[in-house]
Amino acid sequence: MPMKCEAENCENEATVHLTEIREGVKHEMHLCEGCAAAKGLPGKSHFTIQQLLAGIASQTQALTQQKTRRGKDPACPACGTTLSQFQSSGRFGCPECYVAFKDDVQNLVEKIHDSTQHSGKVPRRTSSDVAMQKDLRQLQVDLKKAIRNEEYEKAAALRDQIRKLDERMAAGGLPHPGGADEPQQKPASPSGTSGKKKGKSEG
Amino acid sequence: MNLNDMIQAPGEWMRGTGPEAEIVISSRVRLARNVRGFHFITRMDEAERLACEAHIRKQIQESGVAQPGTYFALHEMDATDRKVLVERHLISKEHEDATHPRGVAVSSDEAVSIMVNEEDHIRLQVLQSGFQLQDAWKLCGKIDDQLESRLEYSFSPQLGYLTACPTNVGTGVRVSVMLHLPALVLTRHIEKVFQAVSKINLAVRGLYGEGTEASGHFYQISNQVTLGRSEIEIVNNVETVIPTIVRYEHEARQTLLAKDRKRLEDRVWRAFGMLKYAQLMPSDEAMMLLSFVRMGVQLGLLKEMTLRDVNDLFVYTQPAHLQKLCGAPLESAERDMRRAAYVRAKLVNLKI
Repeated sequence: MPMKCEAENCENEATVHLTEIREGVKHEMHLCEGCAAAKGLPGKSHFTIQQLLAGIASQTQALTQQKTRRGKDPACPACGTTLSQFQSSGRFGCPECYVAFKDDVQNLVEKIHDSTQHSGKVPRRTSSDVAMQKDLRQLQVDLKKAIRNEEYEKAAALRDQIRKLDERMAAGGLPHPGGADEPQQKPASPSGTSGKKKGKSEG
Repeated sequence: MNLNDMIQAPGEWMRGTGPEAEIVISSRVRLARNVRGFHFITRMDEAERLACEAHIRKQIQESGVAQPGTYFALHEMDATDRKVLVERHLISKEHEDATHPRGVAVSSDEAVSIMVNEEDHIRLQVLQSGFQLQDAWKLCGKIDDQLESRLEYSFSPQLGYLTACPTNVGTGVRVSVMLHLPALVLTRHIEKVFQAVSKINLAVRGLYGEGTEASGHFYQISNQVTLGRSEIEIVNNVETVIPTIVRYEHEARQTLLAKDRKRLEDRVWRAFGMLKYAQLMPSDEAMMLLSFVRMGVQLGLLKEMTLRDVNDLFVYTQPAHLQKLCGAPLESAERDMRRAAYVRAKLVNLKI
């Protein structure tokens, strides 16, 4: 049963629960958001990652329900985890789930991290191609900046660098950054490199 | 080194040394990694979990990281021993509680721990006393490189290191600092700190991390975002806010002293008196009382004790440590009695 707000003449459900220890004695307070605010107490300004996930899950729930109504609860082909299983547990079954639920992942990841592009450490084993893509992105940013600042000599040099890097990547058959949105491996086939290019482009 | 040797002394991070150690208890950096070719933990059957654990364990041992040190196969240990590792912050509560094949490699100074088969295949942690995030990150990155030369990780150019939970994807890095903030609690400014911190996307948690309550006025500040920024940016982001919080805590302590010195002294000495004479001491109460004593030591109100003395009491009065010291499993009521006796024995020798 939901707890009622302790404030006088208030019938709302208590959603703010405070525990305080004064002189070694525990004091508990249960208030609704409005009464808590009236008393100058902080409301529910903090949320945990689980709550965030649950919130996002309920937002995307509608989408899943649509899909399941059509008889589809999409499942990861590599491990069998379904989208609804992921949404209730918050855990993927294998790296390939990130590809299988790509659209939902994209949404979720953007909401959690406010980004969908890794810019940290890269494992040495795959570092050459990823590092090149990273360099390329940086060069393109620098180029735009140089043009904006009317530093044309610098811009020309940057353009040449980009061209060179582009050629090198093309020669190596490496995916263009705009299409490099897949994990490079599948758990079921340790030797498989899924280097195939997706139809998405930056244009 | 086995657990019985380990328990003789507190680990590196508990020593009460390092920059800002009066308020910053410890600095921690952890990385989440998964080995390519294996499912994530929830989708593994028992055989795959065994194989995964054996594979990673072998690579850790052959790489020489976390050496000298010990590998604990947790599924072969009893619960009290596992809980000792939780109380020393070497494994998570979830890792203690699980039943599947899993382990942890711990360096003998306890600064490095590598959990195997936790939520991710590998959770590498570096934990140091005081405020030294940069050093912690350097060591963590170095060990990660060493392991990476032997293990192939699940990685995507776009999403970075792939983790079981998307909240860790990207760098897989969690940077956290444990703070002791009694004066901000007493002056009721702690909520303001939380609000300021959450505005810049950092989280505040309790003593044992995610989902735990803040007991004894200990709080952990950590990053939430793991994607779209580099590891060092994330480290710097957490690092930037700490000096301000530390300064607020110092100021709050000085305010308490200036406004009502007697009341503050009373609080500290009452706490000390309770610890010195009580016959039954539940662990929550011990934490709270030790917290006031710790602040008293820092403010010079209680000159006969050192931060190290207080930190030791924090460690050894925890339930699993207490049971190891007593050499037998104890029921809760009996623990309260033994805890009180242990603390009394430690305080009786002080000349006050």
